[in-house]
Amino acid sequence: MATAARPPSLRLGQQDLKCRTGCGFYGTPQNDGLCSMCFREKFNDKQRKLKLKEREAGLTPGASSSGAASGSVERRSPQHGHGRMEPPKKQADKDSENSGTLHKKKFTAVLQKTLQAGAQKITQQRGYVPDPTENQFLLQLRQLRIPDDGKRKLKLEIQRLDGDIRKYMNGHGSKNIDELSDAVQNAYTKVSDIVHNDPSFEIATNEDRDSAIDFFEKVVMTQNHKFLFSPYFTSDEDSDVKVQKRIRQLSWITAKHLDCSIDEVNSEARDLVYNAISELVGIDSYYSPQEKLQCTVRCCRHIFELLKRATGGPASADDFLPALIFVVLKANPVRLHSNINFVTRFTNASRVMSGEGGYYFTNLCSAIAFIENLNGESLGISSEEFEALMSGQQSYSTPWESALLACESLHLISENMKRMEELQKKNTLISSGLTAFEKELIEFQREVTERVDTVIAKAPLTLLPIKTPAFLIGQARAQLQTDPDTGHYLENVVGECTLTSQSIIAGNDALKSTIVTEESGLSLKDTSIGSVGRLSPLQQNVQPPDNLFASPIFNYAAFDAVSMLEERSSEGTADVVMLGTDFQGGLTNINYDFDLSDQSGENSTADEAKLNLDEFDPLVQKSAPNRKPPTALPDTSLLDSTMDSLIDSEVPGTSVLLPSPLKPEVANYRGFSNFDIPSISCNTGDFSSLGHDGVPPPK
Amino acid sequence: MATSPRTGGASGAGTAQRPNGTSQNKSCQFKLVLLGESAVGKSSLVLRFVKGQFHEYQESTIGAAFLTQTICIEDTVVKFEIWDTAGQERYHSLAPMYYRGAQAAIVVYDIQNQDSFQRAKTWVKELHKQASPNIVIALAGNKADLSNIRVVEFDEAKQYAEENGLLFMETSAKTGMNVNDIFLAIAKKLPKNDGANNQGTSIRPNGNETNRPTNNCCK
Repeated sequence: MATAARPPSLRLGQQDLKCRTGCGFYGTPQNDGLCSMCFREKFNDKQRKLKLKEREAGLTPGASSSGAASGSVERRSPQHGHGRMEPPKKQADKDSENSGTLHKKKFTAVLQKTLQAGAQKITQQRGYVPDPTENQFLLQLRQLRIPDDGKRKLKLEIQRLDGDIRKYMNGHGSKNIDELSDAVQNAYTKVSDIVHNDPSFEIATNEDRDSAIDFFEKVVMTQNHKFLFSPYFTSDEDSDVKVQKRIRQLSWITAKHLDCSIDEVNSEARDLVYNAISELVGIDSYYSPQEKLQCTVRCCRHIFELLKRATGGPASADDFLPALIFVVLKANPVRLHSNINFVTRFTNASRVMSGEGGYYFTNLCSAIAFIENLNGESLGISSEEFEALMSGQQSYSTPWESALLACESLHLISENMKRMEELQKKNTLISSGLTAFEKELIEFQREVTERVDTVIAKAPLTLLPIKTPAFLIGQARAQLQTDPDTGHYLENVVGECTLTSQSIIAGNDALKSTIVTEESGLSLKDTSIGSVGRLSPLQQNVQPPDNLFASPIFNYAAFDAVSMLEERSSEGTADVVMLGTDFQGGLTNINYDFDLSDQSGENSTADEAKLNLDEFDPLVQKSAPNRKPPTALPDTSLLDSTMDSLIDSEVPGTSVLLPSPLKPEVANYRGFSNFDIPSISCNTGDFSSLGHDGVPPPK
Repeated sequence: MATSPRTGGASGAGTAQRPNGTSQNKSCQFKLVLLGESAVGKSSLVLRFVKGQFHEYQESTIGAAFLTQTICIEDTVVKFEIWDTAGQERYHSLAPMYYRGAQAAIVVYDIQNQDSFQRAKTWVKELHKQASPNIVIALAGNKADLSNIRVVEFDEAKQYAEENGLLFMETSAKTGMNVNDIFLAIAKKLPKNDGANNQGTSIRPNGNETNRPTNNCCK
């Protein structure tokens, strides 16, 4: 850029050197130690090397319309950034534009006027305003809604400050920008005082007063921009170059470094960033501090718009400042410090201390201060990495930078890389979420198991045997006794008791003891059924071999439960009514999804039991041959003895043995023909298969 | 809202009054900075104060960093110009630019976050040292609606505020608790003699007008 290329030492070295002729102006080594005017007089052909400031100062009072035209060129020059950098070229342009004679004349006028300016002929200076904007200002002044008296006063004040500034700038002696700033600020205060308290402004509204003050500032600053903007006796240009170089070095910074929510890849977001950048860069193209501030405000509003889309709500300063820093870094505006200093020094002090413009301007200053002082720590990276990136040792690729390159595919790669990075982040998030969920599930399962276990431990599941009504047993026995030859049922009952049969023969005491042992085995098994995991019929299937039951039909878990129930309830007298209540209670406690209650009710009717037993015959006949031989002999004796013990003896142990085979057998059977649909063929198939497998039917 | 919002903007710095017209009301403009760690609810607090909203923002609310609100206290129109600051640690050093020339500051912390309270203390210390000497500082313990999981005890903060001459309230931007009150308290404490009609301070000694509806004298 122009500012960067401009050697800043050009004017700084001149300060102490006065013109050799003793005219009081500064001389330069290039001019053989003469001041510009003396040099120009002596070497007319070398006048192109005059300092711009002095030349401008001379041109401004120059008469005639051509002077106005050249003035406008001058005025435009600072915003293009090459005005003061390339005076000789510019001069050449002017030469081509103007005829030689006119040119000569003009420069004589220039010289005279410059001398006059040196002689502090203020009124004459003010008498001529070469700028077309001056006409605009006059028009605007006329449009101000303040009394004519006020306008006149305002104009007078404008001219006075204008003259003061020129006088100071063209004056001798060392110049201090702070002095100048103070002078301008004092003038503002004075004008403000006049506007608010002068009788000629009495009828004006507050808004009109404010606009009058604004107008004053705008006119003076626009007219004197060339003097006050980055004056040669300040180090503004050095700072500009420094910060520009610094920002260039920091081009690797991404939005991520700044912890700002700008999406560099999103094209919509980029457009808004570009808008903000163009406003920020545009600050340099305005003359008056107000316009520069307004430009800053527009820039910041674009950023807020951007952040609003990114975050969904009005952005706070927490989001805004990083975004502004990002925009400043990516914009790298020219003459940043010159502009900032110009506004700080020469705008109405209250403007940068309050108001929206002041706030955003403060933010801009903060952003620049941050950029100038940032280090690795403030970007969240190590100082080594920071140094490497700053020195260019470590390469970088940012989506932002790549978008500025001509190579489209490179930008695509960069964008894709960023997208991949985001996807990877999402992926990690998902997988970590999955792991967490899995853990949670395991934990949940464990918790449930634990809870169930504790509940079970608190209230252990005890399955009580179903009490078989005594009359039913009696009936069954009667039937068996009356029809001993066909006794499949008897065989089953006997088969069930194969284990005990031997001991029964041996003696009554021995019989009782074995029954007790078997019963205890049953009860153990039943409590184990109570644990949640064991409720499935498959796991129940594992049990039968332990019980050594003769027939798989009776190995059904329900059978055990029933026998247990009976054991408890049969301690008193076996009663039908008792059976019903006890059984119901047992069932609800157990919460066993085996539908025994209905069947027990059916059991109470002797006819059905009888009918069932009859229907049972063909089924058992299929499986009977396998088991018949070992149990054939002790049929009647065993039955009699057990039956006796069941009915007569009050010992629970003995009562358990026989009723239990009876009961489930009926229940099982009814289980298949729950609605009195005894289909023999179907049952046969089932039971035969079961018999072969030795596995009870899964319910 | 007890206050009547008046949309603010980049208006000129004119606190002067017309000689005729609203001469019975003084007009003051104050710059108020918000300091505090990020995510303590600085901007939520201001949005609640200025817009009366917590989550449902109006479309027109473009940013919450710079907002203005005008309230009336007795015969004085007080315009607050609220400057939000970035709370992140890395931007801490930039804060002096913001509180330069500020007449009031609200230092916000999160009652669930001990660190934010410590940061608030450093802010207060810094303001005492570097800000204008007569700056009015208020300490706001935000997120008071979550007081059941608080970490910073009310009494601890209250004591600290008293020791350092701060206004102190626990606020909740979510429920609106004490939000208007803290701004009103600041407005009362501020010297209101920089208007055109200097009539001296008009703060009444009895400070029980906190809940006074103030929208009767505005507009």
